Amino acid sequence: MIRQAIILLVLSTAVGLGGNLISPNRVDFVGKFRDLSSGDQPIVPPTAEPGDPPFVGINEAQMEFATGKPLFLDARNAEDFDCGTIPGAINIPFEALPEGDLGKYFDSTLGVAKDYPIITFCSGEDCDLSLHMGRNLKLLGYTKVAIFFGGAREWEKFGLEMQRRKSCGS
Amino acid sequence: MRKLIDNDYLTLLSRLLVGGMFIYASFYKIIDPAAFAKSIWFYHLVPGKWINLMALILPWLEMTCGLAVIVGFWHRGAALWSNIMLIVFIAALASAIVRGISIDCGCFRAAESATHSAWSSLLFDIGALVFSVHLLASRSRRWMLSSR
Repeated sequence: MIRQAIILLVLSTAVGLGGNLISPNRVDFVGKFRDLSSGDQPIVPPTAEPGDPPFVGINEAQMEFATGKPLFLDARNAEDFDCGTIPGAINIPFEALPEGDLGKYFDSTLGVAKDYPIITFCSGEDCDLSLHMGRNLKLLGYTKVAIFFGGAREWEKFGLEMQRRKSCGS
Repeated sequence: MRKLIDNDYLTLLSRLLVGGMFIYASFYKIIDPAAFAKSIWFYHLVPGKWINLMALILPWLEMTCGLAVIVGFWHRGAALWSNIMLIVFIAALASAIVRGISIDCGCFRAAESATHSAWSSLLFDIGALVFSVHLLASRSRRWMLSSR
Protein backbone atom coordinates (compact mmCIF):
# COMPACT_ATOMS: atom_id res chain seq x y z
CA MET A 1 0.00 0.00 0.00
CA ILE A 2 2.80 2.44 0.93
CA ARG A 3 4.68 1.53 -2.25
CA GLN A 4 1.60 2.23 -4.37
CA ALA A 5 1.09 5.54 -2.58
CA ILE A 6 4.69 6.57 -3.28
CA ILE A 7 4.38 5.62 -6.96
CA LEU A 8 1.18 7.67 -7.25
CA LEU A 9 2.89 10.67 -5.63
CA VAL A 10 5.91 10.43 -7.92
CA LEU A 11 3.67 10.03 -10.96
CA SER A 12 1.52 13.03 -9.99
CA THR A 13 4.59 15.15 -9.29
CA ALA A 14 6.12 14.28 -12.66
CA VAL A 15 2.93 14.97 -14.60
CA GLY A 16 2.13 18.14 -12.64
CA LEU A 17 5.57 19.71 -12.96
CA GLY A 18 6.20 18.42 -16.49
CA GLY A 19 2.79 19.52 -17.70
CA ASN A 20 3.37 22.98 -16.31
CA LEU A 21 6.32 23.41 -18.65
CA ILE A 22 4.09 23.16 -21.72
CA SER A 23 0.84 24.50 -20.28
CA PRO A 24 -0.51 27.83 -21.59
CA ASN A 25 -1.50 28.55 -17.97
CA ARG A 26 1.91 27.78 -16.54
CA VAL A 27 2.99 29.26 -13.23
CA ASP A 28 6.39 29.75 -11.63
CA PHE A 29 7.51 26.68 -9.71
CA VAL A 30 8.50 28.81 -6.74
CA GLY A 31 5.60 30.93 -5.56
CA LYS A 32 6.04 34.62 -4.85
CA PHE A 33 3.34 34.63 -2.23
CA ARG A 34 4.30 36.21 1.03
CA ASP A 35 2.65 36.01 4.38
CA LEU A 36 2.24 39.51 5.68
CA SER A 37 1.39 40.21 9.27
CA SER A 38 -0.91 43.12 8.50
CA GLY A 39 -2.30 44.97 5.52
CA ASP A 40 -5.43 42.89 5.06
CA GLN A 41 -7.57 45.99 4.85
CA PRO A 42 -7.10 48.14 1.76
CA ILE A 43 -6.36 51.82 2.16
CA VAL A 44 -9.36 53.74 0.88
CA PRO A 45 -8.94 57.46 0.23
CA PRO A 46 -11.41 59.87 1.81
CA THR A 47 -12.23 61.07 -1.70
CA ALA A 48 -13.50 57.64 -2.73
CA GLU A 49 -17.01 57.61 -4.08
CA PRO A 50 -19.64 54.94 -4.58
CA GLY A 51 -19.10 53.37 -7.97
CA ASP A 52 -15.32 53.67 -7.84
CA PRO A 53 -13.37 50.56 -8.79
CA PRO A 54 -12.62 48.31 -5.80
CA PHE A 55 -9.63 49.07 -3.60
CA VAL A 56 -7.15 46.31 -2.83
CA GLY A 57 -4.78 46.09 0.11
CA ILE A 58 -1.13 45.11 0.10
CA ASN A 59 -1.93 41.45 0.74
CA GLU A 60 -4.27 41.18 -2.20
CA ALA A 61 -1.98 43.26 -4.42
CA GLN A 62 1.01 41.04 -3.75
CA MET A 63 -1.15 37.97 -4.15
CA GLU A 64 -2.33 39.16 -7.56
CA PHE A 65 1.28 40.00 -8.39
CA ALA A 66 2.27 36.45 -7.45
CA THR A 67 -0.18 35.01 -9.97
CA GLY A 68 1.54 37.08 -12.67
CA LYS A 69 -1.75 37.87 -14.34
CA PRO A 70 -2.93 41.43 -13.67
CA LEU A 71 -1.41 44.42 -15.39
CA PHE A 72 0.04 46.79 -12.80
CA LEU A 73 -0.29 50.35 -14.00
CA ASP A 74 1.85 53.04 -12.37
CA ALA A 75 0.09 56.39 -12.77
CA ARG A 76 3.01 58.57 -11.57
CA ASN A 77 5.39 60.56 -13.73
CA ALA A 78 8.27 58.85 -15.50
CA GLU A 79 10.87 60.00 -12.99
CA ASP A 80 9.08 58.49 -9.99
CA PHE A 81 8.46 55.35 -12.03
CA ASP A 82 12.16 55.04 -12.82
CA CYS A 83 13.13 55.54 -9.18
CA GLY A 84 11.21 52.49 -8.07
CA THR A 85 8.03 50.68 -8.99
CA ILE A 86 6.34 47.32 -8.75
CA PRO A 87 8.28 44.89 -10.97
CA GLY A 88 6.74 44.51 -14.39
CA ALA A 89 4.45 47.53 -14.00
CA ILE A 90 3.89 49.78 -16.97
CA ASN A 91 3.93 53.55 -16.67
CA ILE A 92 1.19 55.81 -17.94
CA PRO A 93 1.53 59.19 -16.21
CA PHE A 94 -2.00 60.32 -15.52
CA GLU A 95 -1.02 63.97 -15.56
CA ALA A 96 0.42 63.63 -19.07
CA LEU A 97 -2.46 61.84 -20.75
CA PRO A 98 -2.92 63.06 -24.32
CA GLU A 99 -5.83 65.15 -25.53
CA GLY A 100 -8.43 63.49 -27.69
CA ASP A 101 -9.74 59.96 -27.78
CA LEU A 102 -8.52 58.36 -24.55
CA GLY A 103 -10.26 55.11 -25.39
CA LYS A 104 -8.07 54.55 -28.42
CA TYR A 105 -5.01 55.67 -26.50
CA PHE A 106 -5.52 53.18 -23.68
CA ASP A 107 -6.48 50.38 -26.07
CA SER A 108 -3.23 50.77 -27.95
CA THR A 109 -1.01 51.56 -24.95
CA LEU A 110 -2.29 48.87 -22.61
CA GLY A 111 -2.76 46.29 -25.34
CA VAL A 112 -5.13 44.16 -23.28
CA ALA A 113 -8.77 43.20 -23.56
CA LYS A 114 -11.40 45.23 -21.73
CA ASP A 115 -11.93 42.41 -19.25
CA TYR A 116 -8.25 41.96 -18.43
CA PRO A 117 -7.45 42.60 -14.75
CA ILE A 118 -5.68 45.93 -14.19
CA ILE A 119 -4.41 47.31 -10.88
CA THR A 120 -3.61 51.02 -10.77
CA PHE A 121 -1.31 52.54 -8.20
CA CYS A 122 0.87 55.59 -7.57
CA SER A 123 3.05 56.67 -4.64
CA GLY A 124 0.69 56.07 -1.79
CA GLU A 125 -1.79 57.83 0.43
CA ASP A 126 -0.68 61.32 -0.57
CA CYS A 127 -1.26 60.62 -4.24
CA ASP A 128 -4.64 60.19 -5.89
CA LEU A 129 -3.49 59.56 -9.46
CA SER A 130 -4.26 55.86 -9.11
CA LEU A 131 -7.82 56.74 -8.13
CA HIS A 132 -8.35 59.00 -11.15
CA MET A 133 -6.68 56.51 -13.45
CA GLY A 134 -8.91 53.73 -12.15
CA ARG A 135 -12.04 55.83 -12.57
CA ASN A 136 -11.11 56.72 -16.15
CA LEU A 137 -10.36 53.15 -17.09
CA LYS A 138 -13.68 52.07 -15.66
CA LEU A 139 -15.48 54.79 -17.62
CA LEU A 140 -13.73 53.62 -20.78
CA GLY A 141 -15.16 50.15 -20.35
CA TYR A 142 -12.38 48.25 -18.58
CA THR A 143 -14.32 45.91 -16.35
CA LYS A 144 -11.69 44.48 -14.00
CA VAL A 145 -9.94 47.55 -12.68
CA ALA A 146 -8.81 47.72 -9.07
CA ILE A 147 -6.94 50.44 -7.19
CA PHE A 148 -4.00 49.69 -4.93
CA PHE A 149 -4.04 52.95 -3.02
CA GLY A 150 -1.18 51.98 -0.72
CA GLY A 151 0.95 52.27 -3.82
CA ALA A 152 4.68 51.93 -4.27
CA ARG A 153 5.39 53.18 -0.75
CA GLU A 154 3.37 50.48 0.96
CA TRP A 155 4.78 47.88 -1.43
CA GLU A 156 8.30 48.86 -0.41
CA LYS A 157 7.37 49.17 3.26
CA PHE A 158 6.37 45.53 3.31
CA GLY A 159 9.75 44.54 1.95
CA LEU A 160 8.48 43.50 -1.46
CA GLU A 161 10.77 43.63 -4.45
CA MET A 162 11.07 46.97 -6.25
CA GLN A 163 12.17 47.51 -9.81
CA ARG A 164 14.54 50.49 -10.02
CA ARG A 165 15.68 51.89 -13.33
CA LYS A 166 17.88 54.50 -11.73
CA SER A 167 19.23 55.37 -8.30
CA CYS A 168 17.40 58.28 -6.71
CA GLY A 169 18.58 58.18 -3.09
CA SER A 170 16.16 57.91 -0.23
CA MET B 1 -20.45 -5.70 10.13
CA ARG B 2 -17.48 -7.11 8.24
CA LYS B 3 -19.87 -8.57 5.68
CA LEU B 4 -21.40 -5.16 5.10
CA ILE B 5 -17.99 -3.47 4.75
CA ASP B 6 -16.84 -6.07 2.23
CA ASN B 7 -20.05 -5.91 0.22
CA ASP B 8 -19.13 -5.69 -3.49
CA TYR B 9 -21.84 -3.22 -4.43
CA LEU B 10 -21.21 -0.95 -1.47
CA THR B 11 -17.49 -0.94 -2.24
CA LEU B 12 -18.21 -0.12 -5.88
CA LEU B 13 -20.42 2.76 -4.74
CA SER B 14 -17.63 4.13 -2.53
CA ARG B 15 -15.12 3.81 -5.37
CA LEU B 16 -17.35 5.70 -7.79
CA LEU B 17 -18.24 8.43 -5.29
CA VAL B 18 -14.72 9.04 -3.97
CA GLY B 19 -13.01 8.57 -7.32
CA GLY B 20 -15.55 10.69 -9.19
CA MET B 21 -15.33 13.45 -6.60
CA PHE B 22 -11.54 13.65 -6.82
CA ILE B 23 -11.51 13.61 -10.63
CA TYR B 24 -14.13 16.35 -10.76
CA ALA B 25 -12.34 18.36 -8.07
CA SER B 26 -9.03 18.17 -9.90
CA PHE B 27 -10.35 19.37 -13.24
CA TYR B 28 -10.51 23.15 -12.67
CA LYS B 29 -7.35 23.16 -10.60
CA ILE B 30 -5.35 21.49 -13.37
CA ILE B 31 -6.67 23.97 -15.94
CA ASP B 32 -5.97 27.07 -13.83
CA PRO B 33 -3.16 26.44 -11.30
CA ALA B 34 -2.69 30.17 -10.66
CA ALA B 35 -6.24 30.49 -9.40
CA PHE B 36 -5.87 27.36 -7.28
CA ALA B 37 -2.66 28.79 -5.83
CA LYS B 38 -4.69 31.80 -4.74
CA SER B 39 -7.19 29.50 -3.05
CA ILE B 40 -4.36 27.86 -1.12
CA TRP B 41 -2.92 31.23 -0.16
CA PHE B 42 -6.22 32.29 1.40
CA TYR B 43 -5.81 29.59 4.04
CA HIS B 44 -2.53 31.13 5.25
CA LEU B 45 -1.27 27.64 6.11
CA VAL B 46 1.34 26.93 3.43
CA PRO B 47 4.61 28.90 3.16
CA GLY B 48 4.40 31.26 0.18
CA LYS B 49 7.26 29.67 -1.74
CA TRP B 50 5.62 26.24 -1.68
CA ILE B 51 2.16 27.30 -2.78
CA ASN B 52 2.74 27.03 -6.54
CA LEU B 53 4.34 23.60 -6.25
CA MET B 54 1.41 22.42 -4.20
CA ALA B 55 -1.01 23.92 -6.75
CA LEU B 56 0.73 21.96 -9.51
CA ILE B 57 1.06 18.59 -7.79
CA LEU B 58 -2.06 18.27 -5.63
CA PRO B 59 -4.63 18.35 -8.49
CA TRP B 60 -2.76 15.60 -10.33
CA LEU B 61 -2.60 13.56 -7.16
CA GLU B 62 -6.37 13.94 -6.91
CA MET B 63 -6.76 12.96 -10.57
CA THR B 64 -4.50 9.88 -10.45
CA CYS B 65 -5.98 8.69 -7.16
CA GLY B 66 -9.51 9.22 -8.47
CA LEU B 67 -8.75 7.17 -11.58
CA ALA B 68 -6.92 4.49 -9.59
CA VAL B 69 -9.80 4.08 -7.18
CA ILE B 70 -12.38 3.81 -9.94
CA VAL B 71 -10.55 1.34 -12.18
CA GLY B 72 -9.17 -0.59 -9.22
CA PHE B 73 -5.49 -0.35 -9.98
CA TRP B 74 -3.11 0.61 -7.16
CA HIS B 75 -6.37 1.24 -5.34
CA ARG B 76 -4.93 0.63 -1.85
CA GLY B 77 -2.34 3.35 -2.27
CA ALA B 78 -4.93 5.62 -3.87
CA ALA B 79 -7.36 5.01 -1.01
CA LEU B 80 -4.61 5.86 1.46
CA TRP B 81 -4.02 9.16 -0.34
CA SER B 82 -7.71 9.96 -0.56
CA ASN B 83 -7.96 9.56 3.21
CA ILE B 84 -4.88 11.67 3.84
CA MET B 85 -6.06 14.42 1.48
CA LEU B 86 -9.55 14.53 2.94
CA ILE B 87 -8.20 14.69 6.50
CA VAL B 88 -5.89 17.55 5.49
CA PHE B 89 -8.74 19.38 3.71
CA ILE B 90 -10.99 18.96 6.75
CA ALA B 91 -8.26 20.24 9.08
CA ALA B 92 -7.59 23.24 6.81
CA LEU B 93 -11.27 24.14 6.56
CA ALA B 94 -11.77 23.75 10.31
CA SER B 95 -8.73 25.91 10.93
CA ALA B 96 -10.08 28.61 8.59
CA ILE B 97 -13.44 28.54 10.36
CA VAL B 98 -11.82 28.80 13.79
CA ARG B 99 -9.61 31.71 12.66
CA GLY B 100 -12.60 33.47 11.10
CA ILE B 101 -11.07 33.55 7.62
CA SER B 102 -13.66 34.08 4.93
CA ILE B 103 -12.74 31.81 2.05
CA ASP B 104 -13.80 30.12 -1.09
CA CYS B 105 -12.66 26.64 -0.15
CA GLY B 106 -11.02 26.07 -3.55
CA CYS B 107 -12.41 22.56 -3.44
CA PHE B 108 -13.91 22.29 -6.89
CA ARG B 109 -12.95 25.34 -8.85
CA ALA B 110 -10.76 28.39 -8.92
CA ALA B 111 -11.32 30.99 -6.25
CA GLU B 112 -13.21 34.01 -7.46
CA SER B 113 -14.81 35.27 -4.35
CA ALA B 114 -15.07 34.58 -0.70
CA THR B 115 -18.72 33.67 -0.77
CA HIS B 116 -18.81 29.92 -0.40
CA SER B 117 -19.55 28.47 2.96
CA ALA B 118 -16.61 26.79 4.60
CA TRP B 119 -19.09 24.97 6.77
CA SER B 120 -20.85 23.26 3.85
CA SER B 121 -17.48 22.27 2.37
CA LEU B 122 -16.42 20.88 5.72
CA LEU B 123 -19.55 18.77 6.04
CA PHE B 124 -19.16 17.56 2.46
CA ASP B 125 -15.57 16.49 3.10
CA ILE B 126 -16.52 14.68 6.29
CA GLY B 127 -19.17 12.78 4.33
CA ALA B 128 -16.61 11.91 1.64
CA LEU B 129 -14.19 10.74 4.32
CA VAL B 130 -16.72 8.14 5.47
CA PHE B 131 -16.74 6.58 2.00
CA SER B 132 -12.98 6.94 1.70
CA VAL B 133 -12.36 5.13 5.00
CA HIS B 134 -14.69 2.42 3.75
CA LEU B 135 -12.45 1.99 0.69
CA LEU B 136 -9.48 1.29 2.93
CA ALA B 137 -11.39 -1.10 5.13
CA SER B 138 -13.16 -3.09 2.42
CA ARG B 139 -11.62 -6.37 1.24
CA SER B 140 -13.82 -6.55 -1.85
CA ARG B 141 -11.81 -6.83 -5.07
CA ARG B 142 -14.67 -7.30 -7.48
CA TRP B 143 -14.71 -5.21 -10.69
CA MET B 144 -11.11 -4.13 -10.18
CA LEU B 145 -8.24 -4.27 -12.66
CA SER B 146 -5.84 -5.48 -9.99
CA SER B 147 -6.45 -7.34 -6.75
CA ARG B 148 -3.43 -5.81 -5.00
